[in-house]
Amino acid sequence: MRISKIRYYYPIGLFVAFFLDGSLSEKFAGSFFTNTMSIESRLFLLWIVMGVFFAKVEHPYFWAFTIGLMFDLFYTGVIGPFFMLIPLILYLTKMMYSFFTPSFIVVLLIYLIDIALLTLLFYWINVLIGFTSLSLTNFISGTLGPTLAYNLAAFVILYLPIKSLMEGSSR
Amino acid sequence: MQRFFFNKRLIIVLVTLIIGFVLVALSITVRNNRSTPPIIQQFGNDAAGLVDRVVSYPVSAVGNVGSSVGNLLNTYQENQKLKKQVDSLASEKVSNQAIKKENIALKKQLKLNKTLTDYNSVTAYVLARTPSSWQNQLIISKGSLAGVKKNEAVLSDKGLIGRVTEVNKTNSKIELISTENDSANRFATTILTSDGSVNGLITSYNSNTNRLIMGQIDSQKTMKKGDRVITSGMGGNSPQGIYVGTVTKIEKDDYGLASKVEIKPAADLTNLNIVTVAERTN
Repeated sequence: MRISKIRYYYPIGLFVAFFLDGSLSEKFAGSFFTNTMSIESRLFLLWIVMGVFFAKVEHPYFWAFTIGLMFDLFYTGVIGPFFMLIPLILYLTKMMYSFFTPSFIVVLLIYLIDIALLTLLFYWINVLIGFTSLSLTNFISGTLGPTLAYNLAAFVILYLPIKSLMEGSSR
Repeated sequence: MQRFFFNKRLIIVLVTLIIGFVLVALSITVRNNRSTPPIIQQFGNDAAGLVDRVVSYPVSAVGNVGSSVGNLLNTYQENQKLKKQVDSLASEKVSNQAIKKENIALKKQLKLNKTLTDYNSVTAYVLARTPSSWQNQLIISKGSLAGVKKNEAVLSDKGLIGRVTEVNKTNSKIELISTENDSANRFATTILTSDGSVNGLITSYNSNTNRLIMGQIDSQKTMKKGDRVITSGMGGNSPQGIYVGTVTKIEKDDYGLASKVEIKPAADLTNLNIVTVAERTN
């Protein structure tokens, strides 16, 4: 049996996207984190969601748990939130995938639902553990809106390159 | 059969949730009292930090080109402004040198070897920033091998920016002073007024106006707008004399008893490339 290249490309792409999130947030902190709004870059989630639709990944849940744990260890230092949320998002995406045939608009809408859900649940956990006391209204206008807009833009730019890479290497 | 699978799935979800929340609770409780993270966690973070260097290098290279072009456009005006400052700077530098020498001589006479203002500095560059609105954290490129310790103060070239919260072998995490975390350790600060100094603590941060709030103030001396605020060195974590910012507003606190002071931070918390970790020597 021929081994497809996605076996190696998927984890590499996942980790590159993961570290790009941190680097971009640092380099463009002036525009990402202002007084009135903040943007959470989630490129690695884009990679995972695209992987559901366009790549034949062998152990998607293993990678989802790994990247979630990495996020908690390396970025926040609070183990747990992403470790739970990323596999959950992956599960929901797979459920939604079974109802649709993938097209640009369908993937976009599912990705936006995923981002909104992840941002909301992550906010809720942080309220619980006392890392923020922001009200829900301010959260929606200050974080959820800009985050959705940024990730939408990232999706539109990266959809075709990632799709062709994944489909090409899945054969 | 259907029933069995449903139960199995439910159990997996529940167990994951329970494990997740236990982990969250555990990491929150040990966050402030442990000396270093466990070895396994350190190893993972070190490996991640290593890979991060490879990824962040091209990003910062591209970013630097952008900022270089921006700088070039401002150069002429900046040059004119700086020329005016240079003359006064030279004389200030000379008098500073003289005062430093005198200070050393006086300390020798008093047999004071180490005072609150002395610190060793470890310079590091910023690897990444946590892509999250709730953790105002940076990851820097030096760890316990370079001598970084937990709870040390961190400063940029302009002033105080935060505190070390987690130390791995080759990288560490910094919580910025703009954090809204309830359990963050607070900095002890002093306002330098015209007739003495006023001590207090940085108690919170207002993210809408970008102002630090200083409370727990011990006296009613005449503070005024524009007074400088430095760290006081009390509490044992930070050295004395690190510039925090300037006073912008003074008012009574919520109960009308003590004063509440708003401080404009000196450092720009969104434009940090190189930071210095200040290690107290005494």
